[in-house]
Amino acid sequence: MGRLLSLQARVRDYVALLNLDLVLDEAEGYAFLKNRPEPAEDDPAPRLPRLIARRPLSFAVSLLLALLRRKLAEFDAGGGETRLVLSRDEIVELVRVFLPDGPNEARLIDQIETTLNKVVELGFLHKLKPASGSATGPAHYEVRRILKAFVDAQWLAEFDARLAAYQSALSGSAKEARDG
Amino acid sequence: MTLDFATLDALRTHHPAWRLLRSDHAPLVASFLHRVFVAPNVRVMSEADLAEALEDELYALRLQLGETAFPKPATEYLNDWALPDKGWLRKFYKPGSDEAQFDLTPATEKAIAWLGQLSERQFVGTESRLLTLFDLLKQMSEGSETDPEKRIAELQKKRDAIDAEIARVRSGDVPLLDDAALKDRFQQFMQGARELLADFREVEHNFRQLDRRVRERIALWEGGKGALLEEIMGERDAIADSDQGKSFRAFWDFLLSSRRQEELSELLERVLQLPAVVAMRPDARIRRVHYDWLEAGEHTQRTVAALSQQLRRFLDDQVWLENRRIMDILRGIESKALALREAPTAGAVMELAEARADIELIMDRPLFTPAVKPVFAHLDLLAGDEAIDPSALFEQVVVDKARLMRHIRHALQNRRQITLRELVAAQPLQQGLAELVAYLQLGSDAFNAVVDEDTPEAIHWQAEDEQGEAVTRTARLPRVIFMR
Repeated sequence: MGRLLSLQARVRDYVALLNLDLVLDEAEGYAFLKNRPEPAEDDPAPRLPRLIARRPLSFAVSLLLALLRRKLAEFDAGGGETRLVLSRDEIVELVRVFLPDGPNEARLIDQIETTLNKVVELGFLHKLKPASGSATGPAHYEVRRILKAFVDAQWLAEFDARLAAYQSALSGSAKEARDG
Repeated sequence: MTLDFATLDALRTHHPAWRLLRSDHAPLVASFLHRVFVAPNVRVMSEADLAEALEDELYALRLQLGETAFPKPATEYLNDWALPDKGWLRKFYKPGSDEAQFDLTPATEKAIAWLGQLSERQFVGTESRLLTLFDLLKQMSEGSETDPEKRIAELQKKRDAIDAEIARVRSGDVPLLDDAALKDRFQQFMQGARELLADFREVEHNFRQLDRRVRERIALWEGGKGALLEEIMGERDAIADSDQGKSFRAFWDFLLSSRRQEELSELLERVLQLPAVVAMRPDARIRRVHYDWLEAGEHTQRTVAALSQQLRRFLDDQVWLENRRIMDILRGIESKALALREAPTAGAVMELAEARADIELIMDRPLFTPAVKPVFAHLDLLAGDEAIDPSALFEQVVVDKARLMRHIRHALQNRRQITLRELVAAQPLQQGLAELVAYLQLGSDAFNAVVDEDTPEAIHWQAEDEQGEAVTRTARLPRVIFMR
């Protein structure tokens, strides 16, 4: 991060050639690259390929991201620590209520574990190394603060709207089924 | 605070210090934490180190008290002591480390200090404290006097007193403190020094609480945005501007000057050599108590700086507005997600940009190389009718490819390329055709082999025929060139 700060201007110029912007939050300690906005419809500027891919997310992953974002907001409202660390069990409890109740507890945990690993892969959770010399306790994860830049109010509003659309589609089809 | 029944009853239930004193494990907790944190003035310790120290302690205790005493592993005790229902340790993560860190809570420190004071003191000095109190009163009264006339009169009085004292010393009358007065003062100094050290934890704790209160008030703000903005502008320096913040800053500025540090060192050195003080056998650490203050103060200073900075950031750049909006939206998301619980959606619901670009440049790709198909044009295949001895098939020859690679690398050390023919001339074939064919199969990172189809080459080597006569054998093949 320190080196990036000193090379900031050069990095910006370099990635601008690739049609990318560098987003750098010194206070929060993260940086990422993002596609430059597309030129407007009537703009004759050439359309360049978009280097940053958008990854599709399943419902479970989207929901976990939203819930982690809430945790981060609560955490920031609560005091001056900067690193939010959650145990695996805490994350499981966070999500559990939104999953269908079933007799098979182990399967449920596995499902959550899969979602969790996906979020780790996306880079928003970081698995902490267990303390050396201590017995291997439950895993702990740090919620990366960069989550704030990606899961913002706009993204969440979009998620909310899609859930609403899905909900009304579902109730519509249920009504059709009833009316035969 | 009032010491009525209800207050004390609540304290007994909720205050970590009282909880510690009531705990069955109090002797273990207090003795261990005193040894590890208080006595050596340690502020932060990593989980692994602390657990190791506790494990040793537990081992010694089990030897004394039997195997069943304190059956749990050390980390479990530590995490237990850090839970909110105990509150004896603060567990947190510091930047740049994945390992949990521990520090005492101020409540624990108070409980330990109180336990330390239970034993009777041999000697209770009262004089020095009275003088200190009197001094404090004078400071306040003088420091609040706005009338310059009165200030000057006061200063004049001091000057007269000093002049009188100088005259007395000149006339040979040097008043000295007796041993009792020295002991009295030294005891008070020791106590004050220790308390000051202990207070830093509480100071930090209070700063954290202050920070939390500001954040909570903003998170739970019910009024309009304009009023909130005013509120926030007022809170930006809440920590530095609090009474405690100002007092700490004054303390810090006083202690930080190197001149002051030297003065403290000299004074301590002199006082510790006084026979009356030596007789009290003070703790050896007192000699460097001002460094301990400095260390503890620095820790507090860092905490205050970090807290102030984070609070500002929280109040700046609309984070709190965004957070409030996020909370609102999330309530909607959660209720919908609950409603959809029994009918989970398959497939992608949302998408998210990646944080980095995997850049695969076209120039990184290797150029197309056409595959070489050898054409055997000069050969007419005829059915053979000789009786061939098939044993040759079973006499396997193993060619040492590593040796051949060495030949090539060695030859390429002082030239850029070499043909197979030159190579064989320099390093005669020992295993005949098998070795020649092995050359054609070699591939390596160290060199490339290129076949020039347009230039046939004859390669000769010495061999023995069936009768053991020396013969020269020849193979004709396209030119093979090894290049660096």
